[in-house]
Amino acid sequence: MYLLVVRDTFASQAPWFAAGPLLGLCVVAVLALLNGRLGVVGGFSDVVDRVSDRSFRLGWKGTFLLGLVGGALLWAVVSAGPESSGYGWLTRTFSGPTVALFLLAAGVLIGFGAKTAGGCTAGNGLSGNAFGSRAALVATMTFMAVAVAASFVTKWIWGAAL
Amino acid sequence: MTRAAAALVGVVFGFTLAWSGMSSPDVIRAGLLFEDLYLFWFFFAAMATAFAGVQLLRRANARALLTRERITPETLRPEPRHVAGSALFGLGWAIAAACPGPVAAQLGQGVFWSLATIAGIVIGLKLHAARARTTAKAGTRPASVASSS
Repeated sequence: MYLLVVRDTFASQAPWFAAGPLLGLCVVAVLALLNGRLGVVGGFSDVVDRVSDRSFRLGWKGTFLLGLVGGALLWAVVSAGPESSGYGWLTRTFSGPTVALFLLAAGVLIGFGAKTAGGCTAGNGLSGNAFGSRAALVATMTFMAVAVAASFVTKWIWGAAL
Repeated sequence: MTRAAAALVGVVFGFTLAWSGMSSPDVIRAGLLFEDLYLFWFFFAAMATAFAGVQLLRRANARALLTRERITPETLRPEPRHVAGSALFGLGWAIAAACPGPVAAQLGQGVFWSLATIAGIVIGLKLHAARARTTAKAGTRPASVASSS
Protein backbone atom coordinates (compact mmCIF):
# COMPACT_ATOMS: atom_id res chain seq x y z
CA MET A 1 0.00 0.00 0.00
CA TYR A 2 2.74 2.39 1.00
CA LEU A 3 4.72 1.48 -2.11
CA LEU A 4 1.72 2.34 -4.28
CA VAL A 5 1.49 5.78 -2.68
CA VAL A 6 5.18 6.37 -3.32
CA ARG A 7 4.89 5.25 -6.91
CA ASP A 8 1.81 7.36 -7.58
CA THR A 9 3.40 10.43 -6.06
CA PHE A 10 6.39 10.23 -8.34
CA ALA A 11 4.59 8.87 -11.39
CA SER A 12 2.54 12.04 -11.72
CA GLN A 13 4.23 15.29 -12.73
CA ALA A 14 5.67 17.17 -9.77
CA PRO A 15 3.95 20.49 -8.99
CA TRP A 16 6.04 23.32 -10.53
CA PHE A 17 6.33 25.09 -7.17
CA ALA A 18 7.99 21.99 -5.70
CA ALA A 19 10.18 20.89 -8.61
CA GLY A 20 11.29 24.39 -9.55
CA PRO A 21 12.63 25.33 -6.11
CA LEU A 22 14.32 21.92 -5.86
CA LEU A 23 16.36 22.73 -8.96
CA GLY A 24 17.02 26.21 -7.61
CA LEU A 25 18.36 24.71 -4.40
CA CYS A 26 20.70 22.51 -6.43
CA VAL A 27 22.20 25.66 -7.98
CA VAL A 28 22.68 27.16 -4.51
CA ALA A 29 24.12 23.90 -3.17
CA VAL A 30 26.81 23.71 -5.87
CA LEU A 31 27.81 27.29 -5.13
CA ALA A 32 27.70 26.87 -1.35
CA LEU A 33 29.56 23.57 -1.31
CA LEU A 34 32.31 24.14 -3.85
CA ASN A 35 31.98 27.64 -5.30
CA GLY A 36 30.87 26.15 -8.61
CA ARG A 37 28.40 27.09 -11.31
CA LEU A 38 25.90 24.28 -11.88
CA GLY A 39 25.62 23.31 -15.52
CA VAL A 40 25.17 20.30 -17.78
CA VAL A 41 27.16 21.09 -20.93
CA GLY A 42 30.27 21.43 -18.80
CA GLY A 43 29.67 17.90 -17.59
CA PHE A 44 29.42 16.53 -21.14
CA SER A 45 32.56 18.49 -21.98
CA ASP A 46 34.37 17.01 -18.99
CA VAL A 47 33.45 13.45 -19.92
CA VAL A 48 34.39 13.96 -23.58
CA ASP A 49 37.77 15.44 -22.62
CA ARG A 50 38.57 12.68 -20.13
CA VAL A 51 37.62 9.93 -22.59
CA SER A 52 39.80 11.62 -25.23
CA ASP A 53 42.73 11.62 -22.80
CA ARG A 54 42.01 7.99 -21.91
CA SER A 55 41.90 9.19 -18.31
CA PHE A 56 38.94 8.52 -16.10
CA ARG A 57 39.53 11.11 -13.46
CA LEU A 58 36.43 13.25 -13.94
CA GLY A 59 36.08 16.71 -12.46
CA TRP A 60 33.06 17.70 -10.40
CA LYS A 61 31.08 18.71 -13.48
CA GLY A 62 31.48 15.20 -14.87
CA THR A 63 30.45 13.54 -11.61
CA PHE A 64 27.48 15.93 -11.41
CA LEU A 65 26.37 14.70 -14.84
CA LEU A 66 26.75 11.07 -13.81
CA GLY A 67 24.66 11.83 -10.73
CA LEU A 68 22.04 13.41 -12.96
CA VAL A 69 21.78 10.28 -15.07
CA GLY A 70 21.60 8.19 -11.90
CA GLY A 71 18.91 10.40 -10.42
CA ALA A 72 16.75 10.03 -13.50
CA LEU A 73 17.29 6.27 -13.40
CA LEU A 74 16.21 6.28 -9.75
CA TRP A 75 13.06 8.15 -10.67
CA ALA A 76 12.28 5.69 -13.46
CA VAL A 77 12.55 2.83 -10.96
CA VAL A 78 10.45 4.54 -8.28
CA SER A 79 7.71 5.72 -10.62
CA ALA A 80 7.60 2.39 -12.50
CA GLY A 81 5.77 4.00 -15.40
CA PRO A 82 4.98 2.44 -18.78
CA GLU A 83 7.75 2.81 -21.33
CA SER A 84 6.87 4.67 -24.49
CA SER A 85 9.10 3.80 -27.43
CA GLY A 86 8.24 7.04 -29.21
CA TYR A 87 9.94 10.38 -29.09
CA GLY A 88 7.37 13.15 -29.21
CA TRP A 89 6.67 15.07 -32.41
CA LEU A 90 9.65 13.55 -34.20
CA THR A 91 8.48 9.94 -34.16
CA ARG A 92 4.95 11.09 -34.92
CA THR A 93 6.21 12.89 -38.02
CA PHE A 94 9.17 10.91 -39.33
CA SER A 95 10.42 7.35 -39.64
CA GLY A 96 13.06 5.95 -37.27
CA PRO A 97 16.24 6.67 -39.26
CA THR A 98 15.08 10.23 -40.02
CA VAL A 99 14.34 10.81 -36.35
CA ALA A 100 17.84 9.68 -35.45
CA LEU A 101 19.30 12.06 -38.03
CA PHE A 102 17.28 14.98 -36.74
CA LEU A 103 18.35 14.21 -33.17
CA LEU A 104 21.98 13.92 -34.25
CA ALA A 105 21.78 17.30 -36.00
CA ALA A 106 19.99 18.82 -33.01
CA GLY A 107 22.70 17.45 -30.74
CA VAL A 108 25.43 19.07 -32.83
CA LEU A 109 23.64 22.42 -32.59
CA ILE A 110 23.13 21.97 -28.86
CA GLY A 111 26.71 20.93 -28.15
CA PHE A 112 28.42 23.52 -30.34
CA GLY A 113 25.96 26.30 -29.52
CA ALA A 114 25.85 25.85 -25.76
CA LYS A 115 29.62 25.47 -25.48
CA THR A 116 30.10 28.65 -27.51
CA ALA A 117 27.59 30.51 -25.36
CA GLY A 118 29.19 29.23 -22.19
CA GLY A 119 26.18 27.30 -21.00
CA CYS A 120 22.77 25.75 -21.63
CA THR A 121 19.40 26.17 -19.93
CA ALA A 122 20.95 25.06 -16.65
CA GLY A 123 24.32 26.81 -16.88
CA ASN A 124 23.17 30.13 -18.28
CA GLY A 125 19.43 29.98 -17.70
CA LEU A 126 19.46 28.88 -14.08
CA SER A 127 22.91 29.44 -12.63
CA GLY A 128 23.99 32.40 -14.74
CA ASN A 129 20.82 34.35 -14.04
CA ALA A 130 20.87 33.41 -10.36
CA PHE A 131 24.38 34.87 -10.23
CA GLY A 132 23.12 38.04 -11.90
CA SER A 133 25.25 37.62 -15.01
CA ARG A 134 24.14 39.91 -17.83
CA ALA A 135 25.69 37.55 -20.36
CA ALA A 136 23.49 34.78 -19.00
CA LEU A 137 20.40 36.97 -19.29
CA VAL A 138 21.18 37.77 -22.93
CA ALA A 139 21.87 34.10 -23.61
CA THR A 140 18.63 33.02 -21.94
CA MET A 141 16.45 35.50 -23.81
CA THR A 142 18.09 34.44 -27.06
CA PHE A 143 17.71 30.70 -26.69
CA MET A 144 14.17 31.01 -25.37
CA ALA A 145 13.09 33.20 -28.28
CA VAL A 146 14.79 31.00 -30.86
CA ALA A 147 13.49 27.76 -29.33
CA VAL A 148 9.92 29.08 -29.32
CA ALA A 149 10.16 30.47 -32.85
CA ALA A 150 11.78 27.31 -34.21
CA SER A 151 9.13 25.15 -32.54
CA PHE A 152 6.38 27.10 -34.28
CA VAL A 153 8.23 26.86 -37.58
CA THR A 154 8.44 23.06 -37.28
CA LYS A 155 4.74 23.03 -36.42
CA TRP A 156 3.92 25.07 -39.53
CA ILE A 157 6.19 23.11 -41.86
CA TRP A 158 5.23 19.62 -40.77
CA GLY A 159 1.82 20.24 -39.28
CA ALA A 160 3.11 18.64 -36.09
CA ALA A 161 1.03 20.32 -33.42
CA LEU A 162 2.54 18.24 -30.67
CA MET B 1 34.89 15.05 -1.64
CA THR B 2 33.79 17.86 -3.94
CA ARG B 3 33.20 15.35 -6.71
CA ALA B 4 31.06 13.15 -4.47
CA ALA B 5 29.08 16.17 -3.31
CA ALA B 6 28.53 17.27 -6.92
CA ALA B 7 27.37 13.75 -7.79
CA LEU B 8 24.86 13.83 -4.94
CA VAL B 9 23.46 17.19 -6.04
CA GLY B 10 23.35 15.73 -9.54
CA VAL B 11 21.17 12.87 -8.33
CA VAL B 12 18.67 15.33 -6.85
CA PHE B 13 18.80 17.40 -10.04
CA GLY B 14 18.28 14.43 -12.34
CA PHE B 15 15.51 12.95 -10.20
CA THR B 16 13.69 16.29 -10.15
CA LEU B 17 14.11 16.82 -13.90
CA ALA B 18 12.59 13.41 -14.57
CA TRP B 19 9.83 13.90 -12.00
CA SER B 20 8.93 17.29 -13.45
CA GLY B 21 8.37 15.74 -16.85
CA MET B 22 11.18 17.80 -18.37
CA SER B 23 12.72 14.70 -19.91
CA SER B 24 9.60 14.22 -21.99
CA PRO B 25 9.81 15.84 -25.43
CA ASP B 26 6.03 16.27 -25.33
CA VAL B 27 6.15 18.33 -22.14
CA ILE B 28 8.92 20.59 -23.41
CA ARG B 29 7.37 21.06 -26.84
CA ALA B 30 3.98 21.83 -25.29
CA GLY B 31 5.72 24.54 -23.31
CA LEU B 32 7.59 26.01 -26.28
CA LEU B 33 4.33 26.10 -28.26
CA PHE B 34 2.59 27.80 -25.32
CA GLU B 35 0.10 24.95 -24.99
CA ASP B 36 1.15 24.09 -21.44
CA LEU B 37 2.89 26.78 -19.43
CA TYR B 38 4.31 24.40 -16.79
CA LEU B 39 7.76 24.75 -18.35
CA PHE B 40 7.82 28.50 -17.66
CA TRP B 41 6.38 28.39 -14.14
CA PHE B 42 8.87 25.64 -13.31
CA PHE B 43 11.79 27.57 -14.81
CA PHE B 44 10.91 30.85 -13.11
CA ALA B 45 10.43 29.13 -9.75
CA ALA B 46 13.86 27.56 -10.15
CA MET B 47 15.50 30.88 -11.14
CA ALA B 48 13.80 32.79 -8.32
CA THR B 49 14.83 30.23 -5.69
CA ALA B 50 18.38 30.08 -7.01
CA PHE B 51 18.63 33.87 -7.17
CA ALA B 52 17.40 34.27 -3.60
CA GLY B 53 19.82 31.65 -2.33
CA VAL B 54 22.77 33.20 -4.15
CA GLN B 55 21.90 36.64 -2.76
CA LEU B 56 21.88 35.20 0.76
CA LEU B 57 25.30 33.62 0.23
CA ARG B 58 26.63 36.91 -1.14
CA ARG B 59 25.32 38.95 1.81
CA ALA B 60 26.77 36.44 4.25
CA ASN B 61 30.13 36.74 2.47
CA ALA B 62 30.20 33.00 2.77
CA ARG B 63 33.00 30.54 2.21
CA ALA B 64 32.40 27.36 0.26
CA LEU B 65 31.78 24.55 2.73
CA LEU B 66 34.09 22.02 1.14
CA THR B 67 36.80 24.10 -0.47
CA ARG B 68 36.92 26.94 2.07
CA GLU B 69 37.37 29.51 -0.70
CA ARG B 70 35.32 32.69 -0.77
CA ILE B 71 32.18 32.27 -2.83
CA THR B 72 32.43 34.15 -6.13
CA PRO B 73 29.36 33.74 -8.34
CA GLU B 74 30.74 34.56 -11.75
CA THR B 75 29.13 37.29 -13.86
CA LEU B 76 30.14 38.06 -17.42
CA ARG B 77 29.55 40.92 -19.83
CA PRO B 78 27.51 39.96 -22.90
CA GLU B 79 29.59 39.10 -25.96
CA PRO B 80 28.51 38.12 -29.50
CA ARG B 81 29.16 34.47 -28.68
CA HIS B 82 26.45 34.53 -26.04
CA VAL B 83 23.90 35.43 -28.71
CA ALA B 84 25.24 33.38 -31.60
CA GLY B 85 25.84 30.28 -29.50
CA SER B 86 22.49 30.53 -27.79
CA ALA B 87 20.69 30.91 -31.12
CA LEU B 88 22.22 27.67 -32.40
CA PHE B 89 21.51 26.01 -29.07
CA GLY B 90 17.88 27.18 -29.10
CA LEU B 91 17.38 25.74 -32.58
CA GLY B 92 18.76 22.40 -31.49
CA TRP B 93 16.57 22.51 -28.38
CA ALA B 94 13.44 23.07 -30.45
CA ILE B 95 14.20 20.17 -32.80
CA ALA B 96 15.12 17.68 -30.08
CA ALA B 97 12.46 19.06 -27.70
CA ALA B 98 15.13 18.56 -25.07
CA CYS B 99 18.16 20.42 -23.78
CA PRO B 100 21.27 18.83 -22.22
CA GLY B 101 19.80 18.15 -18.77
CA PRO B 102 16.70 16.39 -20.11
CA VAL B 103 18.82 14.52 -22.65
CA ALA B 104 20.97 13.13 -19.84
CA ALA B 105 17.83 12.32 -17.84
CA GLN B 106 16.43 10.47 -20.86
CA LEU B 107 19.56 8.34 -20.89
CA GLY B 108 19.04 7.45 -17.23
CA GLN B 109 15.42 6.60 -17.94
CA GLY B 110 16.33 4.29 -20.80
CA VAL B 111 14.95 6.48 -23.59
CA PHE B 112 17.42 5.25 -26.17
CA TRP B 113 16.69 8.00 -28.69
CA SER B 114 18.86 10.13 -26.40
CA LEU B 115 21.90 8.25 -27.68
CA ALA B 116 21.47 9.93 -31.07
CA THR B 117 21.23 13.37 -29.45
CA ILE B 118 24.22 12.64 -27.22
CA ALA B 119 26.27 11.54 -30.23
CA GLY B 120 25.43 14.90 -31.77
CA ILE B 121 26.38 16.77 -28.59
CA VAL B 122 29.76 15.04 -28.55
CA ILE B 123 30.33 15.99 -32.20
CA GLY B 124 29.28 19.56 -31.46
CA LEU B 125 31.72 19.76 -28.55
CA LYS B 126 34.54 18.35 -30.69
CA LEU B 127 33.77 20.88 -33.43
CA HIS B 128 33.95 23.66 -30.88
CA ALA B 129 37.28 22.42 -29.58
CA ALA B 130 38.68 22.11 -33.11
CA ARG B 131 37.56 25.62 -33.96
CA ALA B 132 39.12 26.93 -30.75
CA ARG B 133 42.42 25.25 -31.63
CA THR B 134 42.54 26.59 -35.20
CA THR B 135 41.68 30.15 -34.21
CA ALA B 136 44.22 29.99 -31.40
CA LYS B 137 46.88 28.84 -33.87
CA ALA B 138 45.95 31.70 -36.18
CA GLY B 139 47.02 34.04 -33.41
CA THR B 140 43.63 35.36 -32.37
CA ARG B 141 42.04 34.07 -29.22
CA PRO B 142 38.30 33.74 -29.76
CA ALA B 143 36.04 34.91 -26.99
CA SER B 144 34.44 31.47 -26.80
CA VAL B 145 37.65 30.07 -25.35
CA ALA B 146 38.02 32.88 -22.86
CA SER B 147 35.91 31.33 -20.18
CA SER B 148 34.99 27.75 -19.49
CA SER B 149 31.45 26.49 -19.14
